[in-house]
Amino acid sequence: MPTDTDLTLSNRDYVMRTVEERGVRFVRLWFVDVLGMLKSIAIPVTELETVLEDGVGLDGSALEGGARLAERDVIARPDPRTFQVLPWGTGACTARMLCDVRLPDGAPFPGDSRHALRRVLGQAADLGLTMQVGAEIEFFLFEEGSDPSKPPVPLDQGTYFDLTPLDDGSDFRRRTIEYLEQMGIPVKASHHEVAPSQHEIKLAHTDALSMADAVTTFKLAVKEVAREQDVFATFMPKPLEHESGSGMHVHLSLFDGERNVFFDEQEQEPLSATGRAFLAGVLAHARELTAVTNQWVNSYKRLAGGFEAPEHVSWTRHARSALVRVPSSRPGREAAARIELRSPDSACNPYLCFGLVLAAGLRGIERGYQLGAEAGEDPPPGARALPEDLREAVALFESSELVRDALGDRLCDWYVRNKRREWNEYRKTVTEFERSRYLRAL
Amino acid sequence: MGDAWIYAQRGEAAEEAARMLAELGFSPRRVAINGSLRPPGEAGATAPRPDLAMVLDDRGDATPLCTRLREDEDLGGVPIVVSVEPEDLELNPEMLEVHELIVAPFTAAELSARIARARRAVHGIEEDEIVRSDELELNLATYQVRVDGEPVDFTYMEYELLKFLLTHPRRVFSREALLSQVWGYDFYGGARTVDVHVRRVRAKLGSEHATKLKTVRRVGYRWES
Repeated sequence: MPTDTDLTLSNRDYVMRTVEERGVRFVRLWFVDVLGMLKSIAIPVTELETVLEDGVGLDGSALEGGARLAERDVIARPDPRTFQVLPWGTGACTARMLCDVRLPDGAPFPGDSRHALRRVLGQAADLGLTMQVGAEIEFFLFEEGSDPSKPPVPLDQGTYFDLTPLDDGSDFRRRTIEYLEQMGIPVKASHHEVAPSQHEIKLAHTDALSMADAVTTFKLAVKEVAREQDVFATFMPKPLEHESGSGMHVHLSLFDGERNVFFDEQEQEPLSATGRAFLAGVLAHARELTAVTNQWVNSYKRLAGGFEAPEHVSWTRHARSALVRVPSSRPGREAAARIELRSPDSACNPYLCFGLVLAAGLRGIERGYQLGAEAGEDPPPGARALPEDLREAVALFESSELVRDALGDRLCDWYVRNKRREWNEYRKTVTEFERSRYLRAL
Repeated sequence: MGDAWIYAQRGEAAEEAARMLAELGFSPRRVAINGSLRPPGEAGATAPRPDLAMVLDDRGDATPLCTRLREDEDLGGVPIVVSVEPEDLELNPEMLEVHELIVAPFTAAELSARIARARRAVHGIEEDEIVRSDELELNLATYQVRVDGEPVDFTYMEYELLKFLLTHPRRVFSREALLSQVWGYDFYGGARTVDVHVRRVRAKLGSEHATKLKTVRRVGYRWES
């Protein structure tokens, strides 16, 4: 078995040799802030050996998502396993590596989302469990150069699964898929979504950390392809008031070695007893997690707006618009047993999202939560509503013991401070809604 | 070059072999010939695997050791080079089973050539550090993969998985075995990760080469050379 040091050394050697063989000139070091926004530092390859050894110093407030507090020095340490030559861009050949962020003494930086996810994955591993995640990510393409104060202009009027000359996006999706495949991110399917100019790409399932890295990479790839084609791509949860928003449906399954523990061999139930307890955990804590699955003021306009977006805490096999769907299309296939969480939007921080959902499910298993009744087309009586806005979500998040256990107090506090600031800015904003309704009438 | 484990009775012979192996770029470690197959302090599932087993048969009694090595679950695929004294050369049918024989005393140059032959016999590694399977080339020195002459970008773990399977042809490995041999312990991905990587490696190899990476139902994967 390779030891950690062996792997690191041979990883580094792989990076150095590939850089040389493929003529890479610059390496981008990627990390994400608490909101999952991608940050990058470019280094010339002449610095690469030193950076692989020592990492690169940066100001930790860069990870606090704009809520700059005390300056603190942290070290970004590239993870050589994530080395990839970037397939896009012009001119000099560029590669990227994702970074783990450490304190100068080598301990993990509490504000590092990648570390937060790793910690929860470690807790699952202690129980002998690993999580597989698949994601369906929606986004919009709009005309470049439009006025941000007006609604953006869609590129087409296509609808669900359309493949017509109207669908300018099919070239777009093909190109994006090529880039993703080159970067080791396998795509399962892609199609035109319900709204004009809206697209969906499904990423094939993989382990949770790789999937969070893949989602982060995916968003950049989509924006790069859009830029090449003189349009822009957005993962904003609800860009058009009267159309559906962009969600990120997350498919989760849990494995003990090669066995899918969600699979019920008797097939009497849609999920095994472990699967039902996991689902019960996700549902019980869903309201506390919403500040992460839906982290922007705008996220709540998607959840409020119908179009099959979930509004209540419920689960279903067949109905639409429940919070969790348990797909039952392929009974008897062990690998397909999974749950689909439908609330997250495409603009969430995938590291914290996967980490918290896993933590909630594990708690359900550990404490033997009981799964409630399945929802029909209407939410069951007494189903609790998801938070209505960011303020309510942040309050639930802040007082959640589960969240604090999973993410640590420091990360929680930064997150809350960041989101409160956003809410306070929003509170002060006079909107079109108010002007159209009050300006003349009052 | 990696780790080389030296199995020997006599200290001086082991020291001489260790010196030569170090000269050839290996990290040599001494293992007692009659005890555990592993160096002191290395046991169980977390023990490392050497890249070479060098058996110094100074008393003509190494046959049982070679058999144990070949039959060991983890060490079975390790190339074995046996050095024999000239008087023990009388044909011993068991000796046909080792990967390479060398007659003591020998020079470092001869040892180097014998090791290269053993590695090629076991792993298919050519002298230029390239492993070939038809029009597929894996360069161990530069970590580059060429498919039908064209370079193809593999991620590090994809490369490591392909390398492992390609250099252990015709043996079936379970997902758990691949996880521990290729990924190591510091990994939370689980056995399904192996399937994910196999799918990606197959996609990058193209349909013709991909058929050689066989799924063995309910067991794992095998490279068909």
